[in-house]
Amino acid sequence: MTVQILQWTAAVYLAAGLMAGLGLALETRRLERASVALLALGALFHGMSFALLHIADDPPPLTDLSAACSFMAWAGTVFYLILLKRSRLQRLVVLVAPAAFLGAFLAALRSPGGAPALSATGSWPHAHVLLASAGIALLGLAGLAGVIFLIEHAQLKSKRPLDRRLPLPSLEALDRVNAVTLAVGFLLLTLGVVTGMIWLQTTNGRPWSGAAHETWSLVAWAVYGALVVARFVAKQGSRQAAASAVGGFAFLLFAVIGLELIS
Amino acid sequence: MKMILLGMNHLSAPIEVRERMAVDEPGPLLQKLVDSDDIEEAVLFSTCNRVEVLALTHSLENARHRLRAFFRRDLARDDYAADFDLDQVTYEYRDGEAVGHVLRVASALDSMVVGEPQILGQTKDAYRAAVECGACGPILGRLFQHAFSTAKRVKTETRIGERPVSVARVAVDLARQIFERFDEKRALLIGAGEMGETALRALKKHGLESVSVVNRTPERAAALAAQFGATAHGLDELEALLGDADVVITSIAGDTPILTLDLMSRVLRDRRHRPLFVIDIGVPRNADPAIDAIDNLYRYDLDDLGAVASENTEQRAREAERAMAIVVEEQQRFDGWFAALRAVPTIRHLRDRAEKIRSRELERVLARLELGDAEQAAVDALTQSIVNKILHAPVSRLRREAEREEGMAYLEVARVLFELDDELDRE
Repeated sequence: MTVQILQWTAAVYLAAGLMAGLGLALETRRLERASVALLALGALFHGMSFALLHIADDPPPLTDLSAACSFMAWAGTVFYLILLKRSRLQRLVVLVAPAAFLGAFLAALRSPGGAPALSATGSWPHAHVLLASAGIALLGLAGLAGVIFLIEHAQLKSKRPLDRRLPLPSLEALDRVNAVTLAVGFLLLTLGVVTGMIWLQTTNGRPWSGAAHETWSLVAWAVYGALVVARFVAKQGSRQAAASAVGGFAFLLFAVIGLELIS
Repeated sequence: MKMILLGMNHLSAPIEVRERMAVDEPGPLLQKLVDSDDIEEAVLFSTCNRVEVLALTHSLENARHRLRAFFRRDLARDDYAADFDLDQVTYEYRDGEAVGHVLRVASALDSMVVGEPQILGQTKDAYRAAVECGACGPILGRLFQHAFSTAKRVKTETRIGERPVSVARVAVDLARQIFERFDEKRALLIGAGEMGETALRALKKHGLESVSVVNRTPERAAALAAQFGATAHGLDELEALLGDADVVITSIAGDTPILTLDLMSRVLRDRRHRPLFVIDIGVPRNADPAIDAIDNLYRYDLDDLGAVASENTEQRAREAERAMAIVVEEQQRFDGWFAALRAVPTIRHLRDRAEKIRSRELERVLARLELGDAEQAAVDALTQSIVNKILHAPVSRLRREAEREEGMAYLEVARVLFELDDELDRE
């Protein structure tokens, strides 16, 4: 049942992405609005699948990579939909929907009885995956906003501003997304690291096993710590913050997911 | 029924002529026009760029003379008419051409700035004024409703009005790309130039509230500040004001740039790299192009803004071609409806003739038969039904055929077959 709902979720996200792309190509606002509505519907299905997971399994097997990616996609989508209410971010749906599709699709591909990659007993692994995934999702949104910011910034600087028929979010809105997602994302990532350490403490008797995943995750957390200081204490400029968000997320992806895939 | 339009616009007549022809209160003039025997319906359209009268008439030539007299006597007020040749400053359109022109005007395809949004509202005002004084009847009313729906189609199906073509609007558009909202932003106007003021006005229209004005002469700065509800400052306060501003509009006279690389680097550093949009409308330029190297500072001079505006103008021209195709399609649709009106007299007389025959024969038969009221009503209804059913097919066909020029032959044949010519001639 959960897999079926995930399949539906992936299909709805895909439809939202295609509709957003079509809306962009045909310059039709109605299609864009419809794609946002579809994305919200997909997020609803996606949320339902997690709720069902909680009913079916105790604790839910979120500790494998595909489930974590799926949760990241869901958290990112929900946060995007919340931000959408406050800023002109509608056009970002063309990037958010495909990313959400990938997350849900990977989870739907997973065999229903697939064993989790790590031993998952008690509520600490659950809390670790939920918090860290949500944190990564938000930092992913910061990276996404950073990419759009850098494109728009380059166009404005080159005196060839983007065609207004592609009304991307304003630089100010993108910068605000960057600040909010960086702050909340780093907080969640920190909580994810802490709960991960407690999980290790309860299973291995010590908070650190020296595994590559732990080392690189901690390095990534430290990198983001530096970015938070640069942004909120040293008052880094918007363009530098956008570039940092893109670079930081690329490193985080490598540290958390890339290494997992390589190993 | 025929349609004729006599008018002048920004291409056919100089502003001195157009401004003398402008009408604020078209009602009384229109009433005078439709009171004459030659004009059935009329709409007067007067804006800063055009003065036009559209009229519906039975006689094109008479209406033409009447409209020309109207332009000379009522609009130009005789005393001035001698100063220009009406033929040289006016244009004339008839029937389908007049319809096409009205659709083009309402869709902003005949405007000085193609795609401008005001013209549709002005067209609606002209139509409303004509309706209120009773000069606009069902036929011109239908044409104007058709023109409004055509304009709506053009607006939704093309991007003719999407991109700004004036320097001030381009500046606003760029500012919207940088800032999410203007109500909490501060603008700084350096110098007193007309274009700078226009750009500032455009920004204020989009919600910008806080403005400071800097000028070499404090009196001029104070006068401008009063105009915009702003604060006035001398040039000595420039650096501090730059630190607070989000949008800087500069058009001050001077041989060397006042916004130098040194000054702006310092300002951006002190303001912790908050974005700053510099609109440099000064000639020679007030902002050193080298400041483009500073992060989070976006500088656009007159050439940059002009380049964006002209690119947008080219795009509007391309969209205008698509819009014209819509106008042609809608014109054909209206022409069909208008042409079908030619069948109305023939159809009416055909029905009258049939009714006369039915009434006469019914009267004759009822006089011979001794029927009660209910039976008489039943026979009356029966004969009416028979006549309606017989006429239904030819009348529908006549209506359809009248929409085409070739279909006129059907009207001719109907008139001959049913001997309607005498009645039509009498009418």
